[in-house]
Amino acid sequence: MAFEVKMPKLGTTMTEGTIIRWIKKEGERVEKGEPLLEIQTDKVNLEEECPESGILKKIVYLEGQVVEVGKTIAIITKEGEEYNDVGKPEEIMEKKQEVTGEIRGNTEEKKNAESETEKVKASPAAKRLARENNIDIKDVNPTGPDGRIVEKDVINYINKTKVTPVAKKIAEEKGIDLSTITKQEGMRITKEDVLSKINENLTLEENIKRIPLSGPRKIIAEKMKKSKIEAPHFYLTLSVDMTNAIKLKEELSVKIEKLTGVKLSLNDIIIKSAARALKEYPMLNSSIENEFIIVKEDINIGLAVALEEGLVVPVIRNADKKGLSEISKESSELIIKARSGKLLPDDYQGGTFTISNLGMFGIEEFKAVINLPESAILAVGKIVKTPVVDENDELKVKPIMKLTLSCDHRIIDGALGAKFLNRIKELLENPVEMLL
Amino acid sequence: MAEKLYIEALREGLREEMLRDSSVFLIGEDIGVYGGAFGVTKGLVQEFGEKRVIDTPISETAITGIGVGAALCGMRPVVEIMFSDFTTLAMEQLVNQGAKIRYMFGGKAKVPMVLRTPMGSGTGAAAQHSQSFPAVFAHFPGLKVVMPSTPYDVKGLIKAAIRDDNPVVFFEHKLLYRVKGEVPEGDYVLPLGKADIKRKGNDVTIIAGSIMVIKALEAAKELEKEGIDVEIIDPVTIKPLDMETIVKSVKKTGRVLIVEDDPKSFGWGAEVAAGIVESEAFDYLDAPVKRLAGRDIPIPYNPNLERHAVPQIEDILKGVKQILR
Repeated sequence: MAFEVKMPKLGTTMTEGTIIRWIKKEGERVEKGEPLLEIQTDKVNLEEECPESGILKKIVYLEGQVVEVGKTIAIITKEGEEYNDVGKPEEIMEKKQEVTGEIRGNTEEKKNAESETEKVKASPAAKRLARENNIDIKDVNPTGPDGRIVEKDVINYINKTKVTPVAKKIAEEKGIDLSTITKQEGMRITKEDVLSKINENLTLEENIKRIPLSGPRKIIAEKMKKSKIEAPHFYLTLSVDMTNAIKLKEELSVKIEKLTGVKLSLNDIIIKSAARALKEYPMLNSSIENEFIIVKEDINIGLAVALEEGLVVPVIRNADKKGLSEISKESSELIIKARSGKLLPDDYQGGTFTISNLGMFGIEEFKAVINLPESAILAVGKIVKTPVVDENDELKVKPIMKLTLSCDHRIIDGALGAKFLNRIKELLENPVEMLL
Repeated sequence: MAEKLYIEALREGLREEMLRDSSVFLIGEDIGVYGGAFGVTKGLVQEFGEKRVIDTPISETAITGIGVGAALCGMRPVVEIMFSDFTTLAMEQLVNQGAKIRYMFGGKAKVPMVLRTPMGSGTGAAAQHSQSFPAVFAHFPGLKVVMPSTPYDVKGLIKAAIRDDNPVVFFEHKLLYRVKGEVPEGDYVLPLGKADIKRKGNDVTIIAGSIMVIKALEAAKELEKEGIDVEIIDPVTIKPLDMETIVKSVKKTGRVLIVEDDPKSFGWGAEVAAGIVESEAFDYLDAPVKRLAGRDIPIPYNPNLERHAVPQIEDILKGVKQILR
């Protein structure tokens, strides 16, 4: 029966692959384990091993074509076997399904007949050896009486090629000594063997510690990977003169502390300004869900808080409707809750925009990864006293803070992102405006 | 170690057991002064007297019946049936009584009897004197069946058979009586139910019984010249059958030739073959199990035809080469 070579899934997120190059040509004899073609995924180029020996009867997709994972990309037949090319493989599959649907009894008979012809005459010992070595007995050349495959034939088959070409290539690239891979006498070293050897070498290294990717770390890993894969990020950075914001903070701090018992922080002012800007630019407060852009009414600002075991993002709901004292109180409570591990799902769900501030760690400028399904994230740097040339061409030292906005380009274009970021800058430089 | 004939070793075994245990006695046609049809018991009547070496008229039923009865009464009779073909006359006594008594009496009665009998073709004794019946008796529950192939084995095994508390049918191939081999002096007993590796090898396992062991050993010498390394297993006792030794050998070589003296259909070779296929050795087989056995015919009188009725050395050579193809 013809063997269908499928587009392999070379990673958990791979959904399609590009055929870069067919190493074998149509009509050529191919051996299991030989390189068959080169595939490009979203990450790497890989040589794919031939999954079956026989004749490469048909190449279904040509070089340069993008093919979904699981689709038939080539047909391999046995030597001398007829292959009826009745169209694209998908069509063949559909036809097959029709037949099974219609006359079930008939196809079952057919199946039996097929497996009958597929049976190979081989001694139990040959079959056992083939089984133990993961060899398809059909690939072995029989020399026994009446075309029977005997044990010796399997041993010969194994001895013929001890290392698959792909295994050899990987071993060369990674500097793996093939003689260190022990296989049962006569067995072929395959790609898997070399890869597991590489793994083994890793574990043999001293001074490494293996921590299972689990719990919050796993969730963060998955979310961040998803974000980077799904959302095309672009980044906008500008400098904000924080002179007035600092002044405001100093002016209000004492009053707010009296009122709430909590000190006002610059972060609270940044939250307020971002909330205000979001109200004016609602596309920044949106997400993509099922082919729709969902624009959210509520402005819920998430605050990235670093903890030892990972990152949490508690949310200040309706930040646009809250005054600075309220924001200050709420954010300080949320941070305390986060650090003591007492956040409830309600505290960290439903965010529409996130602010990440690494200023306290001395970071002047950085690019944050969007917290999906949100469409943007604001990265806040440290306030640095910087020489600035003012509008009168005079050199002055000003407290400058850099803001970097990461935007999901599926929703937000550069100009929109820039306007939004500039609005935050305006608000921070003239905080009185926030009162309007 | 002294070389002795099979017949001498057998007689030595019988004599030593008679000396050792006064309840052992021999009974059969012409076994006294005449010394038995093949001379196995020669001289024993002179040494032990007519009460312990009893000559009887021609009645296999009576002889075997006496054996079963005496055994029940605490004696250890060794019954001789002149030709194994005649055991059919003693079927009722041996099979329907002797083999069943211990079971039917809930173990309270036992039948420590040996029925010795020469078997096989090759002597021009024609159809009524040339059959081999081990498989026939192996089929009956309650009987043990032994067919020693060498002088060493026959002495050790006749002692074991006599000392066993159950009826044992002891087959001696007529052509083996004149075979010579090393036999240690004095008392030694070989276990019943234990196969013997008569030759170690790696390429093919020959499982041969009785006279066929000798033929297989000859064939192995020839095959060795061609670089074929044969292992020969002698089951020795076919009931109980030592499959463990056989399976171990087959796992090593992956190829099996079974050589037996009796007709192929439903023979003990079929039992061995089935046992191999049923066992873990199946996965080690590299060729179908092959059986060489007698033809399904009465043994002819004509010497040329008689020769062709059972496997010969050249058949074994051919058989081995066939499965090694």
